[in-house]
Amino acid sequence: MLTAETPPPELRAVERLAGFAAFLRANGFCVGGGDAVQVLRTAERVGLLDGRVLRWSLQALLCGRREEWRRFDELFDAWFLPANRWQRPERREAHEGGARLRSGAAAEPSARGDDNDAVRPRHAASDREALGSADFRTLTRREHLLEIEALMRRFARRLKAIRLRREGRAVRRGRRLDLPATIRRSVPFGGTPLRLAWRNPRRVRPRLLLLIDVSRSMEAYSFFYLRLARALSAELTDIRSFIFHTRVTAVSDALQEPDPWRAQERLHLIAQGWAGGTRIGDSLVQFNREHAPRCVHARTAVIIMSDGYDTGEPQKLSDALAELRRRARRIVWVNPLCNRPGYAPVSQGMQAALPYLDALVPGGDLASLEAALPRILEGLR
Amino acid sequence: MTASSHARDLATLQEDLARAGYIAEPPLAAALLLMQDLGRPVLLEGEAGVGKTEVAKVLASIRKTRLIRLQCYEGLDAHAAMYEWNYQRQLLAIKLLEHDERDVAQKEQDIFSERYLLKRPLLEAISGEAAAVLLIDEIDRADEAFEAFLLELLSDFQLSIPELGTVHATSRPLVVITSNGTRELSDALRRRCLYQYIDYPDYEKELAIVGKKAPEVTAALARQIVAFVQGVRRMDLKKKPGIAETLDWAAALLRLDIAAIDVDGAERIIETLSTLIKTREDRAAFPREVIARLAAAC
Repeated sequence: MLTAETPPPELRAVERLAGFAAFLRANGFCVGGGDAVQVLRTAERVGLLDGRVLRWSLQALLCGRREEWRRFDELFDAWFLPANRWQRPERREAHEGGARLRSGAAAEPSARGDDNDAVRPRHAASDREALGSADFRTLTRREHLLEIEALMRRFARRLKAIRLRREGRAVRRGRRLDLPATIRRSVPFGGTPLRLAWRNPRRVRPRLLLLIDVSRSMEAYSFFYLRLARALSAELTDIRSFIFHTRVTAVSDALQEPDPWRAQERLHLIAQGWAGGTRIGDSLVQFNREHAPRCVHARTAVIIMSDGYDTGEPQKLSDALAELRRRARRIVWVNPLCNRPGYAPVSQGMQAALPYLDALVPGGDLASLEAALPRILEGLR
Repeated sequence: MTASSHARDLATLQEDLARAGYIAEPPLAAALLLMQDLGRPVLLEGEAGVGKTEVAKVLASIRKTRLIRLQCYEGLDAHAAMYEWNYQRQLLAIKLLEHDERDVAQKEQDIFSERYLLKRPLLEAISGEAAAVLLIDEIDRADEAFEAFLLELLSDFQLSIPELGTVHATSRPLVVITSNGTRELSDALRRRCLYQYIDYPDYEKELAIVGKKAPEVTAALARQIVAFVQGVRRMDLKKKPGIAETLDWAAALLRLDIAAIDVDGAERIIETLSTLIKTREDRAAFPREVIARLAAAC
């Protein structure tokens, strides 16, 4: 189809096709270099005459997750349909705009009209939410980073040591006889089981889930906690991180980005409208509905990092926590204000939350956080 | 292969799927066709009960080939999925060979021959003569280590058994992987697979499914059933009813001789609701008034 006679229009089509994978990558799709070749091969198979078949086939080929699946149609149109030919990838725009995000840049995306919705970063905030985007540049500052990473490595190592039970093969004498392995070993002795094999409880690491409050009242601490989450993600693969202010957003992928600069970029995209008010209850309700069924289960420890200043309804917060409590193994609340002299958890939010917490620990600085680790880990054993 | 023949293939595949009882949207049919062209596995994601597993079953039936199913679970290890030695028979054989004159090496070779090998799904899928359909169900339940192992198998299509050596695939299975999204899958796996997100069916599609799977339901009742279920799905529930639940409910209504869903019959609908609503919290969201409202909207 694309090979034999290649008059200019066909050549243009090939170029257009070949650039599509890169366009998706620029829009945050997980697409590799080899996929451009696959796109051409697919187009050769299915042909270009029926745009729908090409669309469906490329959608199956290039998407890898639900968000990508949803955004695909708009991006396909933007790339292949002439009207929108000059539409630039949103991601790049956002990062060029990153430097001036503070100066009211958030009006920009909404001014461009809502038909662009799907191409916009998904979690862009509504205009009513505070738009002062917080500064992520500090995420790479070395002196803090090194210290936090050292602490977190220690933390992660201890976490790795704690495991819930599950059976596995024992090196030496264990609790239960492993019959298949015993017979396997008996072969050199003509079937006489001279060397026994045992099974031992294998232990499964509990999963950690971080919920980080990034509202304005937490501004001084949330970046600190984000760096901490990033350091932890590097050590443990099964950690999930979320941020919340008036709504909750998953940030695990962004934090696991190996390149710190890119991690910063991605967080920039997610963070528009944060450092606004807090609605912990609403955020948790949303979390329970959208994320909890997938990532909270009987061996998950949920760690909430927040000062507990909630502008929402306290009853909502208690209900949401009660529901979360039923799913999770443990809920720990890290409150940065906790170790200030004379602090008592009297704010409405804290009062509503207290009955459902396994522990309330201080976390205003590295030292207090380190001191709190044993209490976080306690009960996971 | 030309474009027009591809379009024809697509239409044929869709017809075949429909004849086998599966209403596939064109994107899914396109992906299934591409899967055979490119030799890639297809990854199906979606809520429980939207018919992901059914895709593999139907695919096997229209290709007239075997369906080999590997159900993943937490703690599944590569061994249980590949092969196991038949220990009991081996033990017997060892006893029988005790007075055999042959040397030990030969005996050992005998004991670890294919006769004593129990094939588990993965080995079975690549060692068959005709290409089978391999369904790897709910891969998100298995752990990351298993996923990595699976990636290796899916790229090389060979397995190594220490006692026997490497087993190369005699046929390449069509691989269908499903996930409910309880765990985030690795990017490597996602990139190797064709992807399809399957959503709850819309009104027309679900009506077609009910018509196909439960032909004894009258057209008028089928329309009401589907409208009711679609209404239920729009509610904020813990566990939304899938297609199987719709069909169960249709069967229940038939059984109770309920010919129409209306406000007056709300009491009787409540009796059948257990086929549709599966958790206590969700049940609490359905007092009589809600049912009457939903029924009135049908």
